[in-house]
Amino acid sequence: MSVMYGRLVDLLVDRFEVDRAEIGPDTTFEDLDMDSLFLVELLLVIHSDFGVNVSDDAASPGDTITEVADLIERLATAEAPA
Amino acid sequence: MTPSGPPSRPIAVTGVGLVTPAGIGADDTWKGVCAGRSPAARNPVLAGLPVDISCTVPGFSAREHVGRRSSLAHDRFSQLCITAAREAVADAGLDPRTWDGVRVGVVVGCGLGGVATWETQHRRMLEKGPAAVSALLIPMLVPNMAAGHVAMDLRAKGPNLVTATACASGATAIGTALQLLRDGSCDVVVAGGAEAGVSPLMVTGFAQMGALSRRLDVPSAASRPFDADRDGFVIGEGSGMLVLEREADARARRAKVRARIAGYGASADAYHMTAPDPEGAGVLRALRTALLGADITPQEVDHVNAHGTSTPLNDAAEAKVLRRLLGEGPAVTSTKGVTGHTLGAAGAIEAALTVLTVENSLIPPTANLERQDPEVELDIVAGLPRERRVEVAVSNSFGFGGQNAVLVITAA
Repeated sequence: MSVMYGRLVDLLVDRFEVDRAEIGPDTTFEDLDMDSLFLVELLLVIHSDFGVNVSDDAASPGDTITEVADLIERLATAEAPA
Repeated sequence: MTPSGPPSRPIAVTGVGLVTPAGIGADDTWKGVCAGRSPAARNPVLAGLPVDISCTVPGFSAREHVGRRSSLAHDRFSQLCITAAREAVADAGLDPRTWDGVRVGVVVGCGLGGVATWETQHRRMLEKGPAAVSALLIPMLVPNMAAGHVAMDLRAKGPNLVTATACASGATAIGTALQLLRDGSCDVVVAGGAEAGVSPLMVTGFAQMGALSRRLDVPSAASRPFDADRDGFVIGEGSGMLVLEREADARARRAKVRARIAGYGASADAYHMTAPDPEGAGVLRALRTALLGADITPQEVDHVNAHGTSTPLNDAAEAKVLRRLLGEGPAVTSTKGVTGHTLGAAGAIEAALTVLTVENSLIPPTANLERQDPEVELDIVAGLPRERRVEVAVSNSFGFGGQNAVLVITAA
């Protein structure tokens, strides 16, 4: 698993009170009972804590934790100063 | 004007749910209220403020009671309401998985809404900028969300309403539910009130207007309705929810009818923003309307659960009206001596406690009544709960803005 995957899992556990045991690479946000509004909230927190701006339509509740972690990683890399 | 024609049919109370400073659940709340001891205490959330005492629900774990998602996405007033509503529905022996949800209404009285969320998020915006504001802010704070969440939780797809008549909101909700059942709009209504207004800004606001007790050294003695030394109310939080049905429907499904809502009266003082009309004309009209609608004479009233806030003005004005219309007969209590003033939830919590009073033939005492105000010429129950058969009870609720709601609750 990537470093970003671990950070995202920590965020879900610490800020969204998800049980760590519930989370796996293929777990979707829907599996965690996180609807579109929760996802918007998660993306706001990611922006605040990770400094990465993920637009609302770039992720959906059906995405897996791995998919969103990879997306954040890609955006972080792209936004990093050369 | 007075109601004309025959009295409308009473409505059955088949379920009771309570989450209050006296306890979580109707049984714990009832025991706490009958014990007559106020749980008011210093509140760390209010530290450093001119008034730092409150009555909060002891040991309420949002995650335990409403689950992880709701613990994060709902303001506390909604969490308390969902908890009380679930208890009331279970108590009524109803199953939301099988009922016809389109015939089930929800009416919740709420005076403030998610004010703690509002304050927290406003502070974040000032300190960290707009990007730090939660996407959940609006759905957490708007006052209709307790009713909305209860509907989602219970699959109740009928009329979904919020009543906002300040501290009469919970009683207004139950009165509105009565009307929805009588006019056939619903077969079941889950109705009551919810409030969680113990926040620094709200408490300061009430303190600034002189409404709160300053008996800060002995918080448990601060709420003392009808006592000569009362000096204001203690802010509280909680929720009271009832399940109401037409009695024939309740009997047909062999439900236990715990009591009846027999009458409802509403009025406005049209007098002052915060002070009650000293002559009590508005309260008198609401009381008369409620009794006439229930086809009950003032002499038949055994018990009054008074609004009884513990403020000098309210208690004096209310006592005057009760004495004038009902005389010396009824045994009067104010359960706010224990629960504090739960604002928009108060009317519903007190209606639920009145149902329990009628059912148990036991009138809870008014906490902290040591020296009855000589101007309060009423039979106030104090010290220990009083055993008395209560066939007819009245629950009074009055709100800032001069909004009054009175419920008549009778034995089944």
